[in-house]
Amino acid sequence: MQRDIIIPIILDNLIWFILAAVFIFFTIQSEHFFTSTNISNILSAAAVLGVLVVGQTFVLITGNFDLSSESTLGLAALFGIWLIVPAVAPNWGGGVLLNPYLAIVIILAMGAAIGYVIGVLITLGKMNNFIVTLAMLLILRGLMLAFTEGNATSGLNYPPADIFYWLGHKVAFEIPGVVKISIAVVATALVFATGHVILNHRRFGRELYAIGGNRQAAVASGIDADLRIRQVYMISGTLAAFGGWMLAGRVASIQVNLGEGYIFTVMAAAVIGGISLQGGRGTMLGALGGVLLLSTIDRGLNLMRVSVFWIKVIQGLIIMLAMFVDAQRVRYRAPSAEKAKPLETKTTDAE
Amino acid sequence: MGDGNPHLAVEMRNITKVFPGVRALDNVSFNVKAGEVHALAGKNGAGKSTLMHILTGLYPYDSGELLIRGKAFGKLNTATAKAVGIALVAQHTKIIPGLSIAENVFAGNLALSRYGFVEWKKIYKEATERLAKFGLDLDVRRLMETTSVAERQMIEIARALFANASVVILDEPTAPLPKHDVAKLFEFVRRQKAQGSSFIYISHYLEEIFEVADRVTVLRNGEVTGSSAIKDVTQTNLIHMISGVNVERYRRLPTKPGLPVLEIKGLTRSNAYHDINLTIYAGEVVGLTGLEGSGPGSLARGLFGLEPLGSGKVLIDGKAYDHGDPSKALRQRLAYLPRDRHGLGIVASRSVRDNVSLSVLAKLQNSLGLVNGKNERKLVGDYIDVLGIKTPSMETAIENLSGGNQQKAVVAKLAATEPRVLLLDEPTQGVDVQAKVELLRIVDELSKRGVAVGVVSDELSELIDICDRILVFYRGSIIKEFRKDTETITTAKLLAAIEGEISEKSDAA
Repeated sequence: MQRDIIIPIILDNLIWFILAAVFIFFTIQSEHFFTSTNISNILSAAAVLGVLVVGQTFVLITGNFDLSSESTLGLAALFGIWLIVPAVAPNWGGGVLLNPYLAIVIILAMGAAIGYVIGVLITLGKMNNFIVTLAMLLILRGLMLAFTEGNATSGLNYPPADIFYWLGHKVAFEIPGVVKISIAVVATALVFATGHVILNHRRFGRELYAIGGNRQAAVASGIDADLRIRQVYMISGTLAAFGGWMLAGRVASIQVNLGEGYIFTVMAAAVIGGISLQGGRGTMLGALGGVLLLSTIDRGLNLMRVSVFWIKVIQGLIIMLAMFVDAQRVRYRAPSAEKAKPLETKTTDAE
Repeated sequence: MGDGNPHLAVEMRNITKVFPGVRALDNVSFNVKAGEVHALAGKNGAGKSTLMHILTGLYPYDSGELLIRGKAFGKLNTATAKAVGIALVAQHTKIIPGLSIAENVFAGNLALSRYGFVEWKKIYKEATERLAKFGLDLDVRRLMETTSVAERQMIEIARALFANASVVILDEPTAPLPKHDVAKLFEFVRRQKAQGSSFIYISHYLEEIFEVADRVTVLRNGEVTGSSAIKDVTQTNLIHMISGVNVERYRRLPTKPGLPVLEIKGLTRSNAYHDINLTIYAGEVVGLTGLEGSGPGSLARGLFGLEPLGSGKVLIDGKAYDHGDPSKALRQRLAYLPRDRHGLGIVASRSVRDNVSLSVLAKLQNSLGLVNGKNERKLVGDYIDVLGIKTPSMETAIENLSGGNQQKAVVAKLAATEPRVLLLDEPTQGVDVQAKVELLRIVDELSKRGVAVGVVSDELSELIDICDRILVFYRGSIIKEFRKDTETITTAKLLAAIEGEISEKSDAA
């Protein structure tokens, strides 16, 4: 019966086994893959994605979507810069010349406010979450275009905008010859750890699973589901703004399309990491696995000099493959629920 | 072994089915004659579902023989099973609510004209005729969602029968049905039986088995523990065959009630209940019964905040009750066990632990705001022990437990909130005989801790066993109170009151 023990362990941690396999594959394929620079790059790229995925995971666990986070990301970064820099070209500044730290607090609050509006529309306005966040995705991106008239902002590595560069680029610590860990990576690690603790060990997180698993039963258990849903959107909005701060710093400029198209990768990472789109299932650790896997694949394909024209096709296929494997996992597990019933009768009679 | 008997619609001989580690069916023989209703009884997990899955071709069997109308089927897949006339009508019918009855009757095989357009006239006419053949007179243009649960079930059985089903498996068909519709369904089944169709009837309600079945076969732990004509068994020996022990009725001893806990004065909600005055005392169990829709269920849901409450006065322990949502009710120590366990009671995919502690997570948080795992496991473990919840572990997903154990876990969740008022809506629905008795014992024990308990139910004999008083609702009003301390309550007296007859005799008693 050893099979009965080993297979569930593999199924439960499938994402990590796949990640290991992908790592080995790329290491064999490219001598540049398993190097200090490359690993540092994978982690840095994973950092922004990771922050967004944590926010999305909270929302997904309640059985909702937040498609708007990539636009929140862009708009928050833009607004942050506008608050900080002088009103001269080429920078898109408002001339407010606000204290950079205060500006960061404001854009995080703005992210939370956007989330709150979405949450109110969904819970009090009884609107469909998919449509509300899709509309918000368009509105926020549109605002960004309207405000900048398509102009980009650069020079985020010079004061006073270098608070962006600091989060996006600064190295926190380095293990010489092994890996350089940026502040962004440390921050994302902290966000993941906090997310994990909240989901597993706080009443808040535990209630989210109940809401996603069976909302009516959660309400009948005394949970204020509407309040919780507003709160998860606020978390998602705040983390999206945080991601904007990080991503703008990483690329050292703000284009009007900052973050555009990111939401697909965010959803893919969450789902590959085992977060159910139906809600109620999934863990932060799994989501982390999904983030690392997608970032690794992205980097690996680049190193293998796969044509940029084909990369999206390959990414799509990989997501599909991951979903196929996941579907098989569900299928493998399904009969075990049947098996549990006869077993249970045995315990009844043992009395 | 020889040839099959052609008079038998289904014959299963010495069927054995082994799942890894479990012998789900051991040498089970079971047959169904043409034109009979054969009941299949047994606890959850006794092997009924596995046996039916084999008959419908979902599972292969390991050894034995399976004959359908005398023809042996070594391997049966779902398509073949359907083709040879086996149909399953599940508890939750497979209808499409947004389509018309006619479209559901044809299940997607709509007649098309030469140009590929749907021929509605023809479809409506044929659907009406087909249903009429089964004695169903319905407007087939109506949307399926406007039909009653009983109508849906009859439509689904009819649908199976036109697909040439000769054996229809009815899996707990009456569980979602209001009482008065059960009779309609049975009438329908009897009529189809007279036409030569066979039925396999699976139910936890023993009274129903006696009412509708011709024969009964009982499974326990994958073995047949008895099979006979229904006229040769009594309810007592049927229970014995099902559970293997003599399950006795749980009778609560009379108790002396304490102070009033729940007081309702002049409560009215239009189209639900009217001028309700009732008091439940500490340590008292009060039954609330009546026809479907007569008020007790709405009253319980209204009090808990799942529905509006209406106007009137409600007090808990002498304090005005502030009506709101369920979280507000729980804070004021009023708890409610929902009738719909899957819809409102459990979060199926989560563990027993998560389900039991769900309403008290705030109390389990430490000063850092983290749920104290040790305290949580102790709380849940204690309830598992005290209520006798049978589960491999508290981390098992609750969906893997039997109905009775799921229900006990829901009771544990409510008990953990330490309620003063506990309202139970059909607490024994869909659980097996033994679990029913255990649930009644749990209710009794909670009341002994001073909880005021209200039980909404149409299981009259259970109400008589467990309640100190039974209040009968009729069209939204309480029309009769039965007190155990002053009279012997019988189901006959209750039924008369439920139907709205206020008999002189029981008034005098």
